[in-house]
Amino acid sequence: MAIRELKVCLLGDTGVGKSSVVCRFVQDHFDHNISPTIGASFLTKTVPCGKELHKFLIWDTAGQERFHSLAPMYYRGSAAAVIVYDITKMDTFQTLKKWVKELKEHGPEDIVVAIAGNKSDLSDIREVPVKEAKEYAESISAIFIETSARNAVNIEELFQKISRQIPPLDPQEYEKTDAFKLTRPPPTSSKRCC
Amino acid sequence: MSTELVKPCQLDRTGSFFKLIDAFASEIGELKQEMVQPGESADEDQDGSRMQSLAEDVESLFLQEMELKSSARDSGYDSLKRKISILDRLIQTHPVWLQLTMSDEEAIQILQRQQPGIFIVRKSAKLQKKIISLRLGNEITTSIRDFPIKESQFTFSLEGSGISFADLFRLVAFYCISRDVLPFTLRLPEAIVVAKSQADLEQVSKLGVGFWNSSLFNNNKDSAVIPPNAVKCSRLGELKKHIPREPLSNGVHSLHTRTPSELECSQTNGALCFVNPLFLEVHQQAKGAGGSLKRPKIQDSSAQKKSRVPPPRPPPPVIQKPSALQDQVKQVSMPQTSSCLKQHQDNTMGPGLSHSKKTTPVPPPRLKKRISLSESEQSKKTVQESRDTEMQSNAPEAVVSRTSEKDMCVSKRLNANTTLNATLCSQNAMHVQQNGGGRQRLSDMSISTSSSDSLDMDRTFPPPGCPGCEDSSPEDDYGPESDSETMAPPLKLKKKRSTSFVLPHIVKTQFRKVSGVFSSFMTPEKRMIKRIAEVSRDKRTYFGCLVQDYISFLQENKGCHVSGTDMLQTVRQFMTQVKNYLAQSSELDPPIESLIPEDEIDVVLEKAMHKCILKPLKGHIEACLKEFLELNGSWKQLKENLQLAKQKTPQELGVDATAPDSIMIEKIRHKFHTMQKMYSPEKKVMLLLRICKLIYTVMENNSGRMYGADDFLPMLTFVVAQCGMPELDLEIDYMMELLDPSLLHGEGGYYLTSAYGAMSLIKNFQEEQAARMLSSETRNTLHQWHRRRTTIRTIPTVDDFQNYLRVAFQEIISGCTAKTLMVKPYMTTAEVCELCADKFRVQEPDSYALSSSQRKQVSSWHQTPTLKK
Repeated sequence: MAIRELKVCLLGDTGVGKSSVVCRFVQDHFDHNISPTIGASFLTKTVPCGKELHKFLIWDTAGQERFHSLAPMYYRGSAAAVIVYDITKMDTFQTLKKWVKELKEHGPEDIVVAIAGNKSDLSDIREVPVKEAKEYAESISAIFIETSARNAVNIEELFQKISRQIPPLDPQEYEKTDAFKLTRPPPTSSKRCC
Repeated sequence: MSTELVKPCQLDRTGSFFKLIDAFASEIGELKQEMVQPGESADEDQDGSRMQSLAEDVESLFLQEMELKSSARDSGYDSLKRKISILDRLIQTHPVWLQLTMSDEEAIQILQRQQPGIFIVRKSAKLQKKIISLRLGNEITTSIRDFPIKESQFTFSLEGSGISFADLFRLVAFYCISRDVLPFTLRLPEAIVVAKSQADLEQVSKLGVGFWNSSLFNNNKDSAVIPPNAVKCSRLGELKKHIPREPLSNGVHSLHTRTPSELECSQTNGALCFVNPLFLEVHQQAKGAGGSLKRPKIQDSSAQKKSRVPPPRPPPPVIQKPSALQDQVKQVSMPQTSSCLKQHQDNTMGPGLSHSKKTTPVPPPRLKKRISLSESEQSKKTVQESRDTEMQSNAPEAVVSRTSEKDMCVSKRLNANTTLNATLCSQNAMHVQQNGGGRQRLSDMSISTSSSDSLDMDRTFPPPGCPGCEDSSPEDDYGPESDSETMAPPLKLKKKRSTSFVLPHIVKTQFRKVSGVFSSFMTPEKRMIKRIAEVSRDKRTYFGCLVQDYISFLQENKGCHVSGTDMLQTVRQFMTQVKNYLAQSSELDPPIESLIPEDEIDVVLEKAMHKCILKPLKGHIEACLKEFLELNGSWKQLKENLQLAKQKTPQELGVDATAPDSIMIEKIRHKFHTMQKMYSPEKKVMLLLRICKLIYTVMENNSGRMYGADDFLPMLTFVVAQCGMPELDLEIDYMMELLDPSLLHGEGGYYLTSAYGAMSLIKNFQEEQAARMLSSETRNTLHQWHRRRTTIRTIPTVDDFQNYLRVAFQEIISGCTAKTLMVKPYMTTAEVCELCADKFRVQEPDSYALSSSQRKQVSSWHQTPTLKK
């Protein structure tokens, strides 16, 4: 099976639990597919998807406002972006909308966008209604899921959804034909070369 | 006896000693390390190779003796020439048997006319794998069988076999000796096996695939038809009679046991005592396998070395032929084993002598190349020279050996090659001496010849026809260093080199010895990189021209770039293009596919590009980058802002974890300094990763939790500010623009991006404080960078092929083969046709035509006046 490397960018306000979501995803099930990385800002995990193996290269970004301008460096070339917000903080959902807007304007064309409402374990102090978030996600045709990094809820599912949205590699057949051929000319044509 | 006579002798011994060690090292290395499952077959193989070397020795003895008898004046000189190992023969004649593009039909056509055992290595279109197509015996229904070759990340192996090899040549060489999973051993065409000299082999190899139809091949065919065993037996019989009575003068000195004082008594004599037990062990194994072979003893030159106690004299080896294996072994090894060393003399004596006339030492690799290139005139000359030497008495030998010794002293390098070559020189001196008069015992030889055999494999790796590079001695001096360089910066090594003058004599030689031993472990990857670097310095190759012209162009034309980034971009583009060219061209000899498994080719080429392009340009690039920054004032601004940022506390920079203390900062700064000295962007990034790891360690040690980018990026900014190195900005640019694009998405790319981000924050510190935002300008540059770097993909673009044309050749019988040809920009179609006809060996060029096929549309090029680009 061919391993396909997919860059996944992680966006969202500081404190919404971006790293926790990914750490949970990468570290929960210790198996052979995890290659150790030096720190939690950059993590990788390989998951099977159909006939392919998807190796997620997960790029975490700093959520603070002053690092905002660096974001293009991180989301460029990404196959997917996971935008995380905190269901207990409305302003993180507003930040999310800004990210979506930026991605639409400057992000890669066919980037898969996933919206993750984290901290679903704290739904009793929820500020962002599920309905509102879901409708928003649908309006931008993004993946939507509520997660709890603390309780390991829906983490796996989030990445499975992303995996399924990644278009499979269609074999490029140009290589075979995009060449000059030295062939015998058809018998009808003159025998002269050049 | 004059002292001059003693010296060559000591050198001789060291020479053979080293050869032994190298031989055993490589043998053990290959057989034990590479053997994934050392099972029965492995033992058999070891036996096989031992038997083979024995057989070889015996034969070389025999042949040499014959020649001695036939021409008294020759004194065995001619026969010396015949000492070429199987591996060498394989490497040099690969254009004959390595036919990666050959079709099934062609292969069958060729092989059907061959003796069983004859083979061709090619790439199967069906399997998309390399295969050995082997001619089987006539009694079997299918006379030709394909054996697929498995390529793992680092090794080559035959499918079904547990033994893997570092490269294709070693694989084939092994199966020439031992059959393992094959029905019998591989067999080289007679013309290759009986070739006596480099020139003979070159003649064969020049024919390429045409060899199979050539007269050279057909002439030899007759002799091949004679059952080799019959000859063997009679020869062996005769030989056995001769052995006890007439120990022969061929070959190399045997191993002596020496006291430690002896080991240290001369330049080339030191050190290797630690390998000695290894030798003994292996040798004892050989004794067990081969019968009564025991440790050899020296007779000939012992007069000069009374201080040495010779070990007990062994009885001559008993050569029995108990198994079919041995028959096979002989079949293969028989003709080539008339192994003598004239060839070596051609190779190394000549230069050795010419050396002695010059005062400056010439780096060995070049030397070797110049010779092995053997434009016939030159080789004649060297032969003549060495002949002259030989005619005279002992005096010139002393000169030779002294020169080689001097070489070693002068070059003062921890360079494996120097050692090897010096050893080679000394070894030569020895041969001359022995030819002159001394006779040597068989047992001595059986060891030393076999060892030189395998040593040659490593040493003569750069094959003939490999270009010299007279015009590049500085780089050459520089070059091999980095082979041993892993993380150590070039500058540091330079220092080491100069301080080595102060080192005591013995210590120095020991270093060299050790490096010499290790060089035999050099991986195919390293050899390939070295080889590419060599070619890149040779202006006679297209690739060398490209690289050298570009380097001098860049150095001389500072004004042609508008900014540092612009310059770096063109360098990166150039590297990518040259890499694509190399992957497609046939200028590498041996072809890269034969040494490097396919998945790894790009990685190896990338490293080679760093070595041959970035290494010579690093200093220039850095100076330019700094100049650009100084010119537009941003250098000054950067320094000021860095100073400002350094005053800030971690909290002010947004750090919410334990910051590294001053000791840690010092450590990190040191690592940054080390990073500055690297020329390879990949190695720089490796160091950057280590630094980041350090930072994480500090953060995590104090809290026990994992930190994401929210915490890490501010911390990295703080650390960069604390280090206070404006040069880091240049470093980051260098890495960002020059790193292999395929690595940009990985961990290295991530932390590089983070470092860039941290640096940007610092650069705009004042503004940032005011606006709490990065300037829109930085934002724009970031955007641009991404656009640029994501468009330069690993996939070659049309631009990359401006100078090359991919030509597919379709034949009704054999299907389609493709080659990439070098095409000058305004070449006419007629010229291209001519070129194609030549390259594809088309019999009737007039009946073929070029057609361009793009996106499934085929259009003929009958009348097109010129090919534009």
